[in-house]
Amino acid sequence: MRTNSLVALWIVTGLAAGLAAAPAAEEAGAFSPAFIAAQQKAIAPAICLLNFTAEVESQRTGETQKRSTRALGLIVSPDGLVMTHGHMQSDKSDPSNIRVVVGEGEEDKEYDGVFLKKPDDINVCFVRIQGEEGERFPCVTFASDGNLGLGEQVLLFGIMGETLDFARGALTRMISAVIEKPRTTYCIDEAIPFGYVGAPVIDSRGRIAGVVGYDLAPTEGGELYVRSGHPLVYQAPLFAKYIQNPPTEDTLEADQPIAWIGVFSQPLTDDLAEYWGLPKKGGVVISTVVEGSPAEAAGIQRGDVITSFDGMPMRAKKNSEIVGFTKLVRETDVGREIPVKILRSGQPVDISIVLTERPVSAKDAEEFVEETFGLTVRALTTDVRILLNLPDETQGVIVRRVKSGSWAHLAGMRPGVIVLRFGEYPVTSIGEFEAAVNKVKEARPAEVPVFCRVGARTGFFRLQPRWE
Amino acid sequence: MKWLAPLALAAAGCATMGGPGEHAVIRAKNKVIPSLVHIRPVKESFASGQKQEYVVEGSGFIISPDGYVVTNEHVAGDSTQVRCVLFNRDEIDAEVVGTDPYTDIAVLKLKVDEANLPAAELGNSAHIEPGQTVLALGSPHGLSRSISKGIVSVTDRYLGEEGPRPAPYNTWIQTDAAINPGNSGGPLVNLKGEVIGINTRKLSGADNVGFAIPVNAAREVIGAIIEHGHVPRSWIGVRLQEMTSKTDDPSQRGVVVADVDPLGPAAAAGFAPGDVIVAVNGEPVHARFEEDLPLVLKRVADLPIGSPATFSVRRGEETQDIAVVTMEESDYKGEEVEFAEWGFTAADLTPAIVQAARLPSSRGIVIAGVEVGTVAAESGLRQGDIVLSVDGEEIANLAEFQERYDAINDAGKRLVLLDVKRGALTRFELLKLEPGAENGDEAAGEVILDEEDGEEPNGEEPNEDE
Repeated sequence: MRTNSLVALWIVTGLAAGLAAAPAAEEAGAFSPAFIAAQQKAIAPAICLLNFTAEVESQRTGETQKRSTRALGLIVSPDGLVMTHGHMQSDKSDPSNIRVVVGEGEEDKEYDGVFLKKPDDINVCFVRIQGEEGERFPCVTFASDGNLGLGEQVLLFGIMGETLDFARGALTRMISAVIEKPRTTYCIDEAIPFGYVGAPVIDSRGRIAGVVGYDLAPTEGGELYVRSGHPLVYQAPLFAKYIQNPPTEDTLEADQPIAWIGVFSQPLTDDLAEYWGLPKKGGVVISTVVEGSPAEAAGIQRGDVITSFDGMPMRAKKNSEIVGFTKLVRETDVGREIPVKILRSGQPVDISIVLTERPVSAKDAEEFVEETFGLTVRALTTDVRILLNLPDETQGVIVRRVKSGSWAHLAGMRPGVIVLRFGEYPVTSIGEFEAAVNKVKEARPAEVPVFCRVGARTGFFRLQPRWE
Repeated sequence: MKWLAPLALAAAGCATMGGPGEHAVIRAKNKVIPSLVHIRPVKESFASGQKQEYVVEGSGFIISPDGYVVTNEHVAGDSTQVRCVLFNRDEIDAEVVGTDPYTDIAVLKLKVDEANLPAAELGNSAHIEPGQTVLALGSPHGLSRSISKGIVSVTDRYLGEEGPRPAPYNTWIQTDAAINPGNSGGPLVNLKGEVIGINTRKLSGADNVGFAIPVNAAREVIGAIIEHGHVPRSWIGVRLQEMTSKTDDPSQRGVVVADVDPLGPAAAAGFAPGDVIVAVNGEPVHARFEEDLPLVLKRVADLPIGSPATFSVRRGEETQDIAVVTMEESDYKGEEVEFAEWGFTAADLTPAIVQAARLPSSRGIVIAGVEVGTVAAESGLRQGDIVLSVDGEEIANLAEFQERYDAINDAGKRLVLLDVKRGALTRFELLKLEPGAENGDEAAGEVILDEEDGEEPNGEEPNEDE
């Protein structure tokens, strides 16, 4: 049902943009010059140039520096929605000063662009062109399935460099691998020039199957940016929903709460099943239960094997199959009682669990920019606690940035240091940090010992303020 | 005597013109070079998941007519045999009398009957000063009988407790005399031909920034190794920082407690980070700058092991006495053993590992390496994993693990479950054994040298932050 409605939408948008239908390649594996020229004529008007300011982070201090950069944009709806690669946004810093150049050469026209909230399940970004009221833009229409085959030739349209006046260019590539897990992924055989990242991918039938991308999104594989560095095709169905319902402009607004159970798991391989004397039917083995999590509250224990979650059988036998469980948990309603069937020491046990909203991650953590000493700190979030193996009793704030040349910088403080005490004041939260800094600023001491955790150890940094 | 040094420096500046400086250099060289030893140990490494042997080249010097030789721990430690080439080209095997990784010193004994070997004269490293001419002797890049000349750059460089090779108990002589891989363990001598240091490290990426262990720090360690085979030290489980880490006020005396090991005696006695230790057994201690820390650390290390000691500790405005029963400082690294049938090597836990991994106790072992293509690699076991139990039974240490390993292999079990801690997470790692089959192919593949333990024995670099 959903697919049908999307197909309908695309037909409408295609007509609205008034793009001529390009002929199909005569045979797979060979794009004729006529075919390429026709495709270019149809698609190139929808390719635009994004000029914007990005923030680049220094490893040493965590400070960001502004840099002008560009990216290829693809207009995906006639009202001026532009899709581009996810690299346009890094961490929390949104790109700014976005200018969208539509058309080329003498006929190009420049617009302001507004950055929309980045999706977290596909590594693309969206920009809204700020055109005239009712202005229509040429746009592309994607194939509904986006399926490609191993060895299939694909045609890419991108932008050449500045010295070539950002001319639109074409490349052919081949699908070199099709990976099935965690979701179907198409690999492109060769490296892609910079101006082709985010480029439309045309299959041998002349359909736009998707766009060129790098990396799976964090939520796609359960790990951060897996398969990094190899060009892939993001097939159309992965981002279709965002074209139909574009993200909002408010980058901090959470649209749907993501549910959290608080376990780390591994698959019940046949060997593990044999070892524990369990049926070789797969399952989700709980290897770690996070303290204070819904799983802990529900009495889930390490070594439990989940065989059914909210009525869905869990049959993971391989690592890649755990993703199904992770995805199911994320999409479960927060606050609802979920029936879970587990095997504990071989015996079936029924439990129920109420999932909570996923704790705030470091990326979205509350941040406080302290100007006097030059420290930007964040609250300690659950993901950071797990990453750094911090015990519960370690309460503090983590340094995110140190301003170059600041008193904190001079004292040797650096990103990743956890502030436990500022002067004589214990720090367990952003609020306490701010209060401690304010008290110190009032007292204006000649030196401020800051007690910190660095890695597995604790120690002191001495700030030497030069009060004016 | 000390005032002679600048004179020597001036002379050294004219050395190429054949002035008296050149004679002084040659005289000093002639005095010490007969005791110079080129050392070629065969070492063991466990990092690849199997026990591998490799050869390194280093330097050393004879300190007694009956054949005691001093070199670096990173040259002769973990070695199965040590071949020494004396200055007269005689090749003689040596046994390792003992090593001290905390100071990076090893003592060897040449397997000789004669008792008239040329011993180097040990000088007094308290009487050196920056600018003084020094000579470094040894085998840079394996080129034996080499000599290089420079000056003392700094007499008391602190290289700290951090990094892969902590050096808590001594400061270092910094020199610009060329020190290269292979110089490790060789003598740094003054123009009187006396050994004032043991060449040990260089700052990689820098030009002629080398470091030698002052002979006065080495002398005591060498004595302890000859007497006990190792250096027994007391440990209370605190990390100390200099006073300037908290305050620059020179009237504030003592040493700052920066960290307290939760499983150590100091934690049990009630020490807390931020405390300032002002006296040990009634004697004041003071480390205003980091260079002062080794003296204080050594004071603690020299306390009688297993005996109560009184630490006067200032917390806020109050000073209180805290009694601590010291423990013996554990080995720098745990013993390593190869478990060939399962395809990994493992080591006993050290307090540093226990603290870093935040283990509730010191029970368990740490995986030192996983061999490619073995059941361990197949299971997903990784270097650094901490094994807490085998088939559901907790293991205390390597010896207990070895017992379980032997029993399981004897029983011909097919599946073994390890409980593993990796960072904050725990995992089940199932080893799928093939009883009777050999794991790994010992003949296949060349030995790949670990860079740090390999051909470049003094390639370690001190933390550049220093």
